[in-house]
Amino acid sequence: MIIFENFSFRYEESEEFTLKNINATVGTGEFILLTGRSGCGKTTLIRSLNGLIPHFYPGEMKGDIRMDGDSLLDMKPSQLAGKIGTVFQDPRSQFFMTDTTRELAFGCENMGYQREETVERIAKAVADLELADYLNRSIFALSSGEKQQVAIGSVYALQPKVYIFDEPSANLDYEATKRLAQIMAKLKQDGYTIFVVEHRFYYLRGLIDRAFLIQDGQIGQEFTREEFCTLPERTRISYGLRTSWPERDADTYQEKEICHGNGHSFAVKDLAFAYKKGPEILQNISFEAHAGDVIGILGHNGAGKTTLLSVLTGLLGEKRGEICYDGKKLSPRKRRSLSYLVMQDTDYQLFGSSVEEELSLGVSGDPSEKVTETLEALELLAYREQHPAALSGGQKQRVTIGAAIVKDSPVIYFDEPTSGLDYDSMVRVSRLIEQLSEAGIIIFVVSHDFEFIVRTCTEVLQLDDEGVVHNRHLTSGILKSLSEKYFN
Amino acid sequence: MESKIKQKIMEQPFRGTALLDPRCKGLLLILLGFVSYFVNGEAVSLILVMGFALFVSLGNGAKWAAKMVASYAMVSILSTLLKYVSIPVLSVMMSVFGVTILKFIPIVMVGNWILRTTHMDDLMVALQRMRLPQSVTIPLVVMFRYIPTLGIEYRMIRNTMDIRGISDTLWKRITRPVATVEYILIPLLMRCLKVTDELAASGTTRGLELEEKRYALRDVHFSLPEYLMSIAGLLFLGTLLFLDHTSIGEIILWRV
Repeated sequence: MIIFENFSFRYEESEEFTLKNINATVGTGEFILLTGRSGCGKTTLIRSLNGLIPHFYPGEMKGDIRMDGDSLLDMKPSQLAGKIGTVFQDPRSQFFMTDTTRELAFGCENMGYQREETVERIAKAVADLELADYLNRSIFALSSGEKQQVAIGSVYALQPKVYIFDEPSANLDYEATKRLAQIMAKLKQDGYTIFVVEHRFYYLRGLIDRAFLIQDGQIGQEFTREEFCTLPERTRISYGLRTSWPERDADTYQEKEICHGNGHSFAVKDLAFAYKKGPEILQNISFEAHAGDVIGILGHNGAGKTTLLSVLTGLLGEKRGEICYDGKKLSPRKRRSLSYLVMQDTDYQLFGSSVEEELSLGVSGDPSEKVTETLEALELLAYREQHPAALSGGQKQRVTIGAAIVKDSPVIYFDEPTSGLDYDSMVRVSRLIEQLSEAGIIIFVVSHDFEFIVRTCTEVLQLDDEGVVHNRHLTSGILKSLSEKYFN
Repeated sequence: MESKIKQKIMEQPFRGTALLDPRCKGLLLILLGFVSYFVNGEAVSLILVMGFALFVSLGNGAKWAAKMVASYAMVSILSTLLKYVSIPVLSVMMSVFGVTILKFIPIVMVGNWILRTTHMDDLMVALQRMRLPQSVTIPLVVMFRYIPTLGIEYRMIRNTMDIRGISDTLWKRITRPVATVEYILIPLLMRCLKVTDELAASGTTRGLELEEKRYALRDVHFSLPEYLMSIAGLLFLGTLLFLDHTSIGEIILWRV
């Protein structure tokens, strides 16, 4: 049993308390969803459970958190290692070892277990979580979903009683998310206490016992599963929450009107791609797009979405076929100058020493007027002198979109623009894309986020396992078949 | 089922010299680094490269060693050819550059091989047995883990630069080298800061800071093979240093 007793926490570098008077009792074996707007204090709450607060992130504390009678705040994270296990958001940066088997063994070796015991524990984790296929592989060769499973396995081998998941689905496709839900269901069945911080929680709707809505550092509302999954639409949106039933959006879908304003077109004919001597990853890809189209690129992890983006943006050369803009064939070099790619990881995209400089980088002529205009449109004017790295995640994303606008790219690509975003931020990205589309820009979006696709896209390109693409105008019928694939 | 999994866990992909204790590999690398700089004769340098190529080949590194020996031969021939063309300043620059590369090749060969053939838990155990404090071992291990990802991160950054038209042509890179390096380094450092922070958090919650005695998945001991190998290495390098001062050191191998 875990009891929060009037717990408050303030980070050393901040003036205000991030968590204020948290009072809650969580029974053994309960499955708790922590949700709420970005910056509401969800992550701080779980950091105080796994010992990172106060040892890794120091600050001022009031009140107490007790597990089975002992105060968690007195224990070091290393003392908590065998009791509370944490699976983090980004599977790439939570791996300490370079191969999967050692990663599974990592926690046990830290605990100083003898070799036989370590092997015993890993073997149990591998058998229970069905990880046998992933043993002895380089972590660089695994997909995000596979990495996430190994990360869970590594925590499982320590046999903690409490599991904490920090936005575990943010980097996963729908198949991997299903698998994640299966593993969580098994952990719940085995009687572990589970805390999950999540924005896109639809996959947990059959698992949660209670949901805590964190608002401004407090537990604002507490729901049972029944209450939470049947929240009226308007209430849910006022809390800034994503939907529990994304597939229902397919029923209410209304086709969008597109004005092909300036008449530019983008066409791909019989495109194929292969790495040097490898087999063809993409083949027979043909489609057409017009100014103002917002095209969702769908397909599971490993279907070649990223490769397709790289070919379209000109980072990779095509093996066969052609890519044309307004009827003219484009070389990879020409494609690079026409396109702009907004990556999922904005860290790779920020080069300048101020927001203003960032927007004008690589642009010929004097763009200062356009920069000011764009900053104003993106509500970034107040930050023009700041270093891009000092901005929040959403602001960084807007800065990179701003750079695309200043560059005057007629084609803009987005790679998973809504991963880890709450409802309001997702809607904001969607509106921004809508505005770009109204300005006559052709937009491609790679996304797994059904709610966002329904809201934003006008066309979809589905990549299947053979790397063949199916292009369709988005209709309610297509969304229904998609939702069946995603959610059943 | 259970025993099959255990068997798979204990599977050892490395053979021969790759299985040596990480301390032994590190020691040889350091010695090699010194000797490579003091040896000047062409024949002696070649023996040095060949000797270590053999050492690497005996432990899952045959292909890599062959590649490095081939590049060594190529650079040697190229810098010999350069002696026959005399362009003022450039010739001198290129010959200094060539010699530096030649001295680096054996070090890169062995260094990269160590990175690829050392299990990280073996490394951690070895460092702990050397009684190094955790404040030294943890950063070392994080570095060991981070090096292979540098290439991936570099490519991501270059891709963005190409799309945004920042230093996207050879001309821009030559005329503005400092800016180019800055544009690559800043995102790389930002990324590095974030990753190390997350890595440390993830390690901490799995008991990284505990100072228990560690046991790796396989035995890590500085025992007979390591002693023999270290002595053999010392003898080999010592002999080369000696030979370098005899007439063998004056043999000129690369001629056109």
